[in-house]
Amino acid sequence: MKVSLNWLKRYVDIDVSTEELCRRMTMAGFEVDGVEDLADTMRNVVAARLVKLEKHPDSDHLQICQMDVGADELVQIVTGAQNVFEGALVPAALHDSDLPCGVHIKKGKLRGVPSNGMLCSGEELCLKESDYPGAEVNGILILKEDAAPGTDMREILHLNDVIIDFSVLANRPDCQSVLGLAREVAVVLNKELKRPVPSYKTVGGSIHDHIAVSVKDFDLCPRYLGRVVTNLRVAPSPDWMQQCLKSAGMRPINNIVDITNFVMLETGQPMHAFDLQDVKGAEIIVRRAATGEQITTLDGKEHNLTDDMLVICDAESPSCIAGIMGGQESEIEDDTKALFFEAAKFRRDSVRRTGRALGIHTESSGRFEKGVDIVNTAYAMERALQLIDELDAGDIIDGTIDLNNGLPEDRVLTVKAADIEALLGVSIPTETMVDILNRLALPTTEEGGVLTCRIPSIRDDIEGRADIAEEVMRIYGYDHIIGTPMKGAVLRGTLTDERRKTDRLKALLIGQGVREITTYSFINRKAADVLMLPEDDIRRDVVALRNPLSEEFGVMRTQLFTSMLTVLATNYNRKNTAARLFETSRLFIPNEDAALQPEERPALCLGFYGDGEDFFTMKGTVELLCRGTRARFTASGEPFLHPGRQAAVWLGDEAIGVFGEVHPDVAEKYGFGTRVYVAQLELPLLFAAEKPLVRYQPLPRFPAVERDLALLCDEDLPVGEIADIIRRAGGRLLESVTLFDVYKGAQIEAGKKSVAFSLTFRSSEGTLTDEQISPAMNKIFKNLKEKDCILRT
Amino acid sequence: MKDKLQALHAEAMAALATLGNARELEEFRVKYLGKKSVFSELLRGLGGLSPEERPAMGQAINATKATVEEALAAREAEILAAARAQQLLDERLDVTMPGKAAPVGGLHPLNAVLNDLIDIFRSMGFDVVDGPEVETDHYNFEALNVPADHPARDMQDTFYLTDNLLLRTQTSAAQIRTMEDRKPPIRILCPGRVYRADEVDATHSPVFHQVEGLVVDKGITLCDLKGVLEQFAHEMYGEGTEVRFRPSFFPFTEPSVEVDVSCPECGGKGCRVCKGSGWIEILGAGMVHPRVLAGCGIDPEEYSGFAFGIGLDRLTTTRHKISDIRLLFENDLRFLNQF
Repeated sequence: MKVSLNWLKRYVDIDVSTEELCRRMTMAGFEVDGVEDLADTMRNVVAARLVKLEKHPDSDHLQICQMDVGADELVQIVTGAQNVFEGALVPAALHDSDLPCGVHIKKGKLRGVPSNGMLCSGEELCLKESDYPGAEVNGILILKEDAAPGTDMREILHLNDVIIDFSVLANRPDCQSVLGLAREVAVVLNKELKRPVPSYKTVGGSIHDHIAVSVKDFDLCPRYLGRVVTNLRVAPSPDWMQQCLKSAGMRPINNIVDITNFVMLETGQPMHAFDLQDVKGAEIIVRRAATGEQITTLDGKEHNLTDDMLVICDAESPSCIAGIMGGQESEIEDDTKALFFEAAKFRRDSVRRTGRALGIHTESSGRFEKGVDIVNTAYAMERALQLIDELDAGDIIDGTIDLNNGLPEDRVLTVKAADIEALLGVSIPTETMVDILNRLALPTTEEGGVLTCRIPSIRDDIEGRADIAEEVMRIYGYDHIIGTPMKGAVLRGTLTDERRKTDRLKALLIGQGVREITTYSFINRKAADVLMLPEDDIRRDVVALRNPLSEEFGVMRTQLFTSMLTVLATNYNRKNTAARLFETSRLFIPNEDAALQPEERPALCLGFYGDGEDFFTMKGTVELLCRGTRARFTASGEPFLHPGRQAAVWLGDEAIGVFGEVHPDVAEKYGFGTRVYVAQLELPLLFAAEKPLVRYQPLPRFPAVERDLALLCDEDLPVGEIADIIRRAGGRLLESVTLFDVYKGAQIEAGKKSVAFSLTFRSSEGTLTDEQISPAMNKIFKNLKEKDCILRT
Repeated sequence: MKDKLQALHAEAMAALATLGNARELEEFRVKYLGKKSVFSELLRGLGGLSPEERPAMGQAINATKATVEEALAAREAEILAAARAQQLLDERLDVTMPGKAAPVGGLHPLNAVLNDLIDIFRSMGFDVVDGPEVETDHYNFEALNVPADHPARDMQDTFYLTDNLLLRTQTSAAQIRTMEDRKPPIRILCPGRVYRADEVDATHSPVFHQVEGLVVDKGITLCDLKGVLEQFAHEMYGEGTEVRFRPSFFPFTEPSVEVDVSCPECGGKGCRVCKGSGWIEILGAGMVHPRVLAGCGIDPEEYSGFAFGIGLDRLTTTRHKISDIRLLFENDLRFLNQF
């Protein structure tokens, strides 16, 4: 909340620098978001009286002015303006002065005549008509006759002020007001708060002769307070009040409207004034709107209301959206004769929802949303009436209408001082605690180490010991908190199994030159179409956001390919020639019962492109990730992958992932001009398959025997299948099977291929002989022959 | 014969001096020292001498042969040394040429910083735990003392999936799950992804990351919180770093504090990074609200605790002076490769 230092000073003596004030308020919980010193903008500009005016000898429009600037000697200034006259009081920028428009003024000569400054127009001082009457007149600003020559213009223009923007925390709605902040300033500076004590005179009569009020929906309006003022004397409000409003960025309108705004800013309680002659049937009804009812608000906009919105109505129709904005019809105008003042408490979530639904946010609605105090309502009303009286703006009729469902009593909290110290870990003298709490307007007494605090309703954020401790501490000073090292039981910091295993996979990938990426967890629902997923694909079953930022981020992802392809495409388009990327994140698999949390399944995605990358570099990386498991690979059928270059990864009878080259149709959609390879593995399944612990195998003591096999087979017979046949037939002595050549072409008949394996046999009992190996070899040949896989001769 | 031996010796020694490589050395060895060498021939000629002359002459021949052998060995060593020297000279490299290495990958900067954080807090006995990103209203708000009409709900715009399910807006949700599962002493760190309905710009992202810390035990005080955060700050920003508490508000802690560290850039003198204040805000923290403890079945009369929440993205961007948070999610390799 932005607040003027001068306004604060009406309630508390501030005898420290602005900087110090800001520092102390920050340390008490009111962080300063900004400080604007209005005086910074203008320097060495004074009110000056034109004593003597002469024509410039060498110019037909310049005039030479002798100015009384409050000094012993007159100052000569040459001006081009024609609206000046002898005796006029005008702003004069003296030698070496700064104007708010950024201009620096020095003495000089105009057509040979010395000029020791410049007479200023309203525009040159960045003034509007509302800042000073006559400011927008073409020519020099003629000042009102109430300032002595030499008076600093900043004083005349009320620029000797500093606007401080205090950030008010969500639990302190009581500080959404100048008085609320002044209370904190007073406590922080250990000064007295000069809170206005309202008093005013009334003219008799009875409010009930003027108006009848009823509240139909106390749940949304716990308190509604009304007064009537007649014989209104609508006029501009006094200077001091206008200055206060301007400092808060509000435009002065007339004394009545200004009083309602001033009281809102001062006390935090929004006020509303109805023109009584526009209140039909002399009746005010506070009720929920009927769906379909309409209102035209002060800003001229028409709104359709619904039955969850609270409105203030007269006998016929809504005349105000409760706590948000008044209607045009009952607006206070210059000819308003009598008014009905409203000060109420409306429920904050109701105001928030209504404001959002209608797209209106006002100073008033903002305060209701954060919460206004049900007791403070009456103080604000009293204060408004005091100002009516003080400004002689009307006659106050006797009688208050105060409709409520009961007002809260002050709560009493008892807290042991020792418990406060135990929570904070510092010792604070009990009398200091009592003093701080009393200054915070939380009347407190102490007996036998027990504090008894009376908590007024305006501080409903204070609920117990911890809150009292915080109030004491923030004023006593957090500087008193001295760090202590962790104590208590010695605990070991552990990682979850999943994190530990994921970290290991990441290390493997980093060693393979793969970079980690991070992408959003939500994607476009249409991403499934881009991947050409069939209508019944399980991955189209997604968890959707109700209020996404846009369709682009509309659903939680059920696969990581889309994000990976997007990042690869970004890199490709930015001419990064090669990329090896991975991401670990969660897949969000909807629960059958949509009301329950989805399953969050950790997964890993890979994406490669660039020179040297092919299906097998991707497969090699996937194999590395599956090291230590019995992963198998079979041709697969993902629609977004190349139909002949993709494989599923199997562990037992469960497919844990897939990898392959991106389908050229999909690659084209992403704008790739190169082949792209992707993979995705579900991590829990992979982790579950890992062997728990490596068991050492004795190192071989006897030499191995190698046998090379050159085979001829159908070109569609997968080499993996051949190797499996060899392994199964090879028996115990066969140590390893390594593919070393696949050949198609010349010397091989069409539809066939040549495949060569190197077989290693070894025994732990001795060096193998041909006789020992041949039964295994024979079985291998026999089994291969069943697949039409014959030895090449 | 004696003359012949002398002549031979002289000839051999002369020939030795002309030898330049291994092949010539071998030829020399064959000619002078092999089985059919000149010295062998001389030895065979001993038979023509008288038995008296024979031993002396034989000795002389062998002695001469030995000196030639010795000289040959010396010469051979010389030649090998010269050859090695030449080899080394020929093989010299321009050592300023670039090195060769297999390309190396790397962690995303967010996770690199997270790993540092995890190391720091694990060393203080914090267990790392994870929680769901899709949370119920209960865990994300209600149990954290943020009832439905609470103004604190305005502080964070929430993505909703259903009336009751939402994308967690804070890792604090994991606090509750932990306190329901474990009994004190509790010391956990919960890093994770959180979501708020913020439009994307240089400092806002609808997806970001927090690291939540929670300690619950008997006799835990605000001073203990400061002690832990000081240790964190010292490891993260350097030994001399100061930690400052400022009052703040979070519904689930009371008292709540905003935690500043002395600006690591200027050491607290005031600079552009800290906007002249000498301090930068790094996290929010506080003592766990008694109502939150009680809601998890932990007696606030017996136990107390503190919690803190670190914004990982901001920590990462300030640490590496990254000017735009969008870079973290764009994953341009020219950016990633810098880490």
